[in-house]
Amino acid sequence: MTRVVEVPTYFDDRALDHFAQAIGSWPPDSRLLLDARAAKWASPYGLIAMLTAAQAVAEAGLEPPLLTVPASEDVRRYWARAGFFHHAVDLFEIHGKVPRTVPDEESDVLLTVTPVKASEDVHRVVGKIQERAAKILSAELGLQAKATMGFAMALSEACQNIVEHAGTSGWVAVHAYSWRRRLGRRVVVIAVSDAGVGFRRSLEATQASRYGDRWHDATALEAALLQGVSRFRDPGRGQGLAGIKRYLARWQGKISIRSGSARLSILPVWDDDVPLQDGLPYFPGSQVQIVIPQQDAGA
Amino acid sequence: MIHTIQVDLVLRETVATPYRDLVTRPTGAAVRTWIQQQVSRLACHTTLLDFSAVGLLDFSCADEIVAKLLLGTSPDAERFFLLRGLTEDQREAIDHVLDHHALAIAELDGPDAPPSVLGRLNVDARAAFRAVAEGGPGDAAGLASRLEWPVERAADALQTLALLRLVAAEGGSYQPLAVA
Repeated sequence: MTRVVEVPTYFDDRALDHFAQAIGSWPPDSRLLLDARAAKWASPYGLIAMLTAAQAVAEAGLEPPLLTVPASEDVRRYWARAGFFHHAVDLFEIHGKVPRTVPDEESDVLLTVTPVKASEDVHRVVGKIQERAAKILSAELGLQAKATMGFAMALSEACQNIVEHAGTSGWVAVHAYSWRRRLGRRVVVIAVSDAGVGFRRSLEATQASRYGDRWHDATALEAALLQGVSRFRDPGRGQGLAGIKRYLARWQGKISIRSGSARLSILPVWDDDVPLQDGLPYFPGSQVQIVIPQQDAGA
Repeated sequence: MIHTIQVDLVLRETVATPYRDLVTRPTGAAVRTWIQQQVSRLACHTTLLDFSAVGLLDFSCADEIVAKLLLGTSPDAERFFLLRGLTEDQREAIDHVLDHHALAIAELDGPDAPPSVLGRLNVDARAAFRAVAEGGPGDAAGLASRLEWPVERAADALQTLALLRLVAAEGGSYQPLAVA
C-alpha cells in the first residue's frame, strides 16, 4: 500500500499543515509517495520539511518514501540549485528527471540545504553565510551593516537547537525572496528543521510536572520561547532563543516554531498570523522559521 | 602586571576550525577550559582577554566563555579579568549573558579610554567603578567624599564591585584593576 501525499503547490510554513495532514497518522501506516508534480514553488522551509519527513521515516525504520519531481523544469532547477535534490537522493526513491545543476549560493539562495549534525556544522554554516548575508541584508533589505553579525548569530543559535536538543540531525537553508502576497516586500528567510524529539519531549523531564495536565506541545513551546526554559539545569541555557528574539525585535523580524502539533510565533506588527496554534496535524521534530523583512526607507 | 590572552589563538588551538567565529557551546567550553588552565598557572592576578581578531561571538559561546569563566573562579582566588577589542555585537552578547547571571566584567575600549563595565551593575556601583577607575585607589571614606555620598553608601558600592571582581580589595582599601 502506498499513501499519496500531494506536495503543496506553494510550499511554505503555512502549507506545512496541509502537508502534515496529508501524511496522516505518524508513523505512516503505508509507504509515502510525495507527489510534487504540481509544485510551483517551495520556500526553504518547505524544502527542508520534505527532507525532514523522509528522514523521520528512515529513522522509524520504514521504507524510504517515493518522490515524483515537479513537472516544471524551472521548479526542478530551483530545487536543485537550492541543494534539495543533492540530499533528497539519499532519502527518497526519486521518480522523474533530476537536473544536474550543482547546488550554489547564487542569486536568492544564501545557503543551500545543509545538514546540521554537530557543532562543526554550525561553524561551517556561520562561516559560509556571513559575506553573502552582508551583501543581501544591506543592499536588498536596507539593513545597516551591523545587522549582519546579528543575523549570523541568530542563524547559529537556531542551528544549535538541533545539535543540543533534537537528538538527531537536521537541516538548514536560507533564501532571500519577495514576499509579495504576505508582505509586499523582500525578505530573508532562515529555515531550520529536524526530525528529532521535539520541544515537548525535550523539556518533559524538567518541566512536565510544573504544568500537569496542561503539558503538551503548545505549553512546551511557550516555556522555551517565551520563558527561556531549557532542558538543561545550567542557568545559562535558554539564552540562544532570547538572543534571536532580541535581534528580531530590532529589525521587525518574525520567529515561528512548530513542534509536534503546535506552532508559536512572535509576531511583528506587519504580520497577521495567529501567535499560537494548537491541535495542528502532527509533524515530526521541530521546525523554526526566522523572517527578516526589507526595512522601510526611513528605518 | 597583566597577562594578555588572544582569544582567536585559543580558538585555533582548541578547535580545529578554519573560521574565526566563536559559536556553539562546545567551542565556548573548550576555549574557556583552555583559559582556566592557563590562568591557574599564572603568577599575575589580572588576565586580559583580547577579542580583536575574533569574528562572530554568539550568545551561547559568550555564556560559555565569559559568564562561566567568572562563575567558575573561586571567590577566594585573587583573579581578575578584563576584556579588550570587542565589536558592538560581541559587547552586546556579553552584556546580555552577564546580565542574565547578574555578573559584570570590565572592558577596555580604546587605549586611552577608562575601563567600562559590561553586565549587571547597579547605578551606585557603576558610579563607584568610574570614580575608582579615574581617581585611583582609596577607601570608602575617600570615595564617599569624592561622590558626596554617605560613607555607608560608598562602602556598599565598593563591596559590590569587590564581589564582582571589578576592583581589588585589600584591608579596607580598594584599587582599580591593573590595565597595563
